[in-house]
Amino acid sequence: MKPGLVRIAGLVGTALYAAFIVWVYARQPRTVSQLTGGMAASVGAYKVDPANFQEGLRFFRNDQFVESRAAFERADPARQDPLTQFYIAYSFYRQGWGRLYKDQVLYRQGLEAADRAIARAPSGRLSVPDGTLGMHTADELRAELQRGLEHGVADLNPMKVLEARK
Amino acid sequence: MSAPVPPGREAFVLPFIFLTVAGAGGLRLSGEGGAMSFAPPPLITLVLAMLLVGVMVRAGLLVPARLVGDHRTGLENLGGCVVLLTLFAASAQLFTCLTPDAGMLRLVFNLFFLFLLWNTLAAQPDRARLLRSLLVVFGWAYVVRYVALAALADPQSSWMRRLIGVLMEGAGSASVPGEPTAPLAGYVAFATVALYMIGLVLLPAPPPAAAVALVATRAPDLLE
Repeated sequence: MKPGLVRIAGLVGTALYAAFIVWVYARQPRTVSQLTGGMAASVGAYKVDPANFQEGLRFFRNDQFVESRAAFERADPARQDPLTQFYIAYSFYRQGWGRLYKDQVLYRQGLEAADRAIARAPSGRLSVPDGTLGMHTADELRAELQRGLEHGVADLNPMKVLEARK
Repeated sequence: MSAPVPPGREAFVLPFIFLTVAGAGGLRLSGEGGAMSFAPPPLITLVLAMLLVGVMVRAGLLVPARLVGDHRTGLENLGGCVVLLTLFAASAQLFTCLTPDAGMLRLVFNLFFLFLLWNTLAAQPDRARLLRSLLVVFGWAYVVRYVALAALADPQSSWMRRLIGVLMEGAGSASVPGEPTAPLAGYVAFATVALYMIGLVLLPAPPPAAAVALVATRAPDLLE
């Protein structure tokens, strides 16, 4: 093989490898499945497991939020699918919602999942036409979770007790 | 005239070794659950890497003229620049790998590296001696960071706690804080240090005339 070709191939290979390392440092995957799933998603080859997703949806509609999240995590182990992340965020919202208080830990986890959904959605916009939900976009859900984490004078308003879960 | 560097080594082997070290050097594995995170190089490691590359050039371990120069074609020079850049990135991330992430120990480690490199620069060692010196420096840093400190943080490793307690007796009541790491982290760090040292060994050696000139300057008694 000609030395010139070897050098060109080496430069191309090095550039690709360096780009992969920069990508890993930028994306910060937490597990090997997130790493491989993220790589698959970047080339458009990532698929959510439909059986687990449907199971998660069924649990979610039965208000079995812990079970639904377990199924959604199985469906989207790399946390790359915006729709699945939206439902995970929604499950945290519904589980953490209370008439007199909002569970801060669950809301914070929900906010993280909502951020992931927005980050993974094309152009950052995600609309979910699900009639059983009170909020149909990731932006609405994110804002609701954010409001639940903020404290102020409005918390003393007794009419807040009458607010319904969305 | 020295033999040219094999193109395969310069274009593939060296960049891939150094990029692997640069990637693995920042890998952190949490002690709880082994979750991964990737630490970019802190600014001090860039300074240390620059100093280390300077020491390598001074000792003849790295000969920039073998990688970049007027006598080489544009493509060859580009490949040489890639080797130099990846060597710098790997050096910075190796320090990130061997240095604790936070606290007083991080400062101590960085000062330790800084003074040792400065001392090595002043001593003007040759290629072989510098390789041995770096092996000892990185080896000790590895043992302290991944064996001693990890054992201190491990509640089940009481013999190491007792040993360090005995060694520290009389040095004050302050205890040395450990740093919890996943067991796999030590293996990854070991492979990273080993790979870096292999990369250094594979760097093109200085041409014989330059080597003789170097020895004549540093240790003329050896030529007698």
